[in-house]
Amino acid sequence: VSKLGQVVESIEKYNKFVLDQVKRARTDEQFGRELLGRWNDIKAKVPITRTPTGLPLPRLAVPEIDEPGEIARYFFSEGLPGEFPFLNGAYREMYLEPIREVESLQKDGEPLRRSARSPLPQAEEPTRLFSGLMLAEDTNERFHYLTQHQRTHRLSTAFDGPTLYGIDSDADGVFGKIGEGGVAIDTVEDMVRLYDGFDLGSANFSASMTISGPAPIIMAMYIAAAKRRFGPKVVPSLRGTIQADIFKEVQAQNETIFPIEASLRFLTDMVEFTTREMPRWYPISISGYHIGEAGSTPVQQAAYTLSNGFAYAEMFAARGIPIDQFGPRLSFFLDCGLDAEYIALARVSRRIWAIGMRDVFGAGPRAQLFKLHTQTSGRSLIAAEFKNNLTRTAAELMLAYMNATNSCHSNSADEPFTTPSEEWIRLAAHGQAILLEESGIFKHTMNMLSGSPGMKAVERSVEAAILDEFREIERLGGVLAAVEDRYQRSQIQNAAHRYEQQIYDGIRPIIGLNRYRNGAEEDIPEVKLVRTPRKKQQLQVDRLAKFKKKNAEKAKRALDKLADVVERAENCFPALLEAVEVCSLGQITGRLQEVVGRFRPMV
Amino acid sequence: MASPIRILTAVPICDGHDSAINTINLEFIRHGIEVVYLGYHRSVGDIVRAAIQEDVRAIGISSYNGGHIEFFSEAIALLRKRGANDIKVFGGGGGTITHDDAAAMKRKGVDNIFFAGTSLAEMSDYVRKHYGKPRAKRARARSPDQELAHQLTAIEDAYTAGRKRLTLNAHRSAPNRTIENRKSKIENTKVIGFTGPGGAGKTTLIDELVLRFLNQNPKGRIAILSHDPSVIGEGALLGDRATMINSQNDRVFMRSMATRGQAGGLSPATHDCLALLASSRFDYVIIETVGTGQEAMPFQKNGIVDQTVLVMNPDYGSRLQLQKIVMLDLADIVVVNKSDLQRARTAHTEIEQRLEQNRRNQRLIDTVAKRHRDPGVDELFELISRGPK
Repeated sequence: VSKLGQVVESIEKYNKFVLDQVKRARTDEQFGRELLGRWNDIKAKVPITRTPTGLPLPRLAVPEIDEPGEIARYFFSEGLPGEFPFLNGAYREMYLEPIREVESLQKDGEPLRRSARSPLPQAEEPTRLFSGLMLAEDTNERFHYLTQHQRTHRLSTAFDGPTLYGIDSDADGVFGKIGEGGVAIDTVEDMVRLYDGFDLGSANFSASMTISGPAPIIMAMYIAAAKRRFGPKVVPSLRGTIQADIFKEVQAQNETIFPIEASLRFLTDMVEFTTREMPRWYPISISGYHIGEAGSTPVQQAAYTLSNGFAYAEMFAARGIPIDQFGPRLSFFLDCGLDAEYIALARVSRRIWAIGMRDVFGAGPRAQLFKLHTQTSGRSLIAAEFKNNLTRTAAELMLAYMNATNSCHSNSADEPFTTPSEEWIRLAAHGQAILLEESGIFKHTMNMLSGSPGMKAVERSVEAAILDEFREIERLGGVLAAVEDRYQRSQIQNAAHRYEQQIYDGIRPIIGLNRYRNGAEEDIPEVKLVRTPRKKQQLQVDRLAKFKKKNAEKAKRALDKLADVVERAENCFPALLEAVEVCSLGQITGRLQEVVGRFRPMV
Repeated sequence: MASPIRILTAVPICDGHDSAINTINLEFIRHGIEVVYLGYHRSVGDIVRAAIQEDVRAIGISSYNGGHIEFFSEAIALLRKRGANDIKVFGGGGGTITHDDAAAMKRKGVDNIFFAGTSLAEMSDYVRKHYGKPRAKRARARSPDQELAHQLTAIEDAYTAGRKRLTLNAHRSAPNRTIENRKSKIENTKVIGFTGPGGAGKTTLIDELVLRFLNQNPKGRIAILSHDPSVIGEGALLGDRATMINSQNDRVFMRSMATRGQAGGLSPATHDCLALLASSRFDYVIIETVGTGQEAMPFQKNGIVDQTVLVMNPDYGSRLQLQKIVMLDLADIVVVNKSDLQRARTAHTEIEQRLEQNRRNQRLIDTVAKRHRDPGVDELFELISRGPK
């Protein structure tokens, strides 16, 4: 039995353990009393907050149960927010507004006024908007625009095609792709420009970089850029995330540049380095988003994401990295669409992850957390009557926050037909603010909407379906074997096909497309397209040429050294850190491919 | 009967969005079109080279990552430069290509851009209507490869039209390797036949051999004639190129053929096409075909093929199955690919025993073609380079 098989067993065992505890609470009087005591204690300590209309509300809503068996079921099967197995949330207060005026109930039930002056740490805003366009300086300007009203600067970087495929802007036939769909990065100098003006070492700053194939090279460039600006001491304080998810690339997104095993090896090299030297960095974002967008069902999305996560954990542990060191640095990224499963998809994922990490990998509390970034579904948005997309995204946002996501990106309504424009990006960001800040749904009570009977039904059903997927992958020999066998790829493609067919057949209603269609022609506005002007593309090519010319001699030596390290199967990350100082992304990719080969596409 | 329409489809460089094109490909072949699929992340150079070698009527490009105006324009410019104006270009990109973009692209010579919401039927109708007419008289080829491609098309068309028929023992009649008007034949062109069941890894193996060949012979040229099964009068997905990362090279001439109803894994036109390639200045000509090996193979000893390689999967079933595989008697080299699989050791032993019955000194090699620098593939390359015994 591989680790994934053990995870299935651990969940089954845990579910049985919950039932045993329920039974014990009902039969063992002593145990029952203890539970009841703890329950009453929790209830008594819940702070009360007053809404703007004067209504008192508890900051934590506990279910109205007073029977020891049900209390046991709640504690063990769900856990309070921030408690194992984290069904209700990885952390406690999450979206709650900072306490201004709080009352807490004393034992006798008399409210006690507490001063609001005590400085409570302000939570980070969960907003993190994905952006990247044209050249580094243009994206930098966009970053400053997006964060102008934010306490915390959480950037999310999209790269252009050549960068995602690890090739240079001067490569044959990519000129028109420079700066399209993301920012063009060729060298460490571009990386310096990209985050100019932001304090990379500050606790209020974090950078997310959505790139996987060449992730270790880009990570090295980021570190090198930070060192150029702030000196070598900045490295341990760098905060952020790099996607680096090879499995999902092979399963869904097709941006893999080295053979799978070599890609995994470079990834592990990077993780080994960052967990040791950059304790605040998330070196991998285990992503279901692209699996979902490629057409998977929600269950497939969660099952493949989680199983990929367990496979990475197994790999990093095999390298000798302590689980409690890398475990807390794993993060997840899920899609949130409109299917019923999304009511509880992330909740169930959090629970499976926690149990598997604890009981199979022996992870401590911090390494059990399924830390989640969610993005609303791009695939659910359509061009026809596109303003409906605001409603779709709003509903998805609601679901994402009901799942207690740690951060969220809301899509722009104009995405189906263009690069998001500022107007619609603003509306998308405001959608989150309206939900979290303006509305009272999430800011007063941390688990306002969890635990409805319907939600529980979805949870049970989704969990069972995810475990079935795990069993199938296990049967195929584990995640890597299943990936090489194209199992996940085929399943995703099949689901995508069925989805399209359902739209075509009308079984899946899409308002404005196959139902309530407006007879009038498209209402797509004249869009001002954000396209990279040729002059800018040429500027990028020229800069790169200058960089290459300047460093020609040094680059040769650095590449030889890198190749040598890779041939000897040593950790290549230190050599990468040296190489990015004098080599371009494409030079490094090319040299690595000479040693380990290129990825052979799966079709 | 007219030949099926042949088109080439691809996704541009730095673009991995292959979901739409996968669906469209299937729709095309359902409507009788032969689709040479080049895969995703493909450069203009790769696309145009393949289109000329495959001599397709049109190129369909599915672009979702931007830069489409430049990409499509570059493709058209390169086709013109190579004298292949008769190969048309069309494409789409969901919502990423605006109407203004499409207008600009049409001005550059793109035939048509399909927008989001276009039905699949509309697309295949368009292709049949615009690229299904018989070709006008062809202009003189601008390069030897283009000329070769035109000649191969002529051979295929002749067979489909019934102007040429395969005689019963055509495979056996050793043709004169010197074909008229081609004086430049390389006397030592080696013709290697690859066969084996689908999924055994033939394409990957050939691509890895090509890599070794290109590295070792800086000026050498190689031709590949690959086959995919199709029913007479229907379409076919010719997808070998999509996974061949080393064979997209100016020194590699590749032609994908659909079997067009012929049993045995070859097309009626294969024999003549192979004869033509064998006399067309290549160092190697590789012919690849799918076969279970249970039928007597087309690569006969007295045919054009100098050396035959049977590629097997360790999962062939029971040991008795091996007795049914006639190709094991005929092949010069037997490869057990995927030898990293658990079953591979048993497979090796069983096949070794089976080959010993023949007392022909056939070679048995274990490979893991998907592995970079696999020593088994090195050994196979050595063996082929040394030539038939």
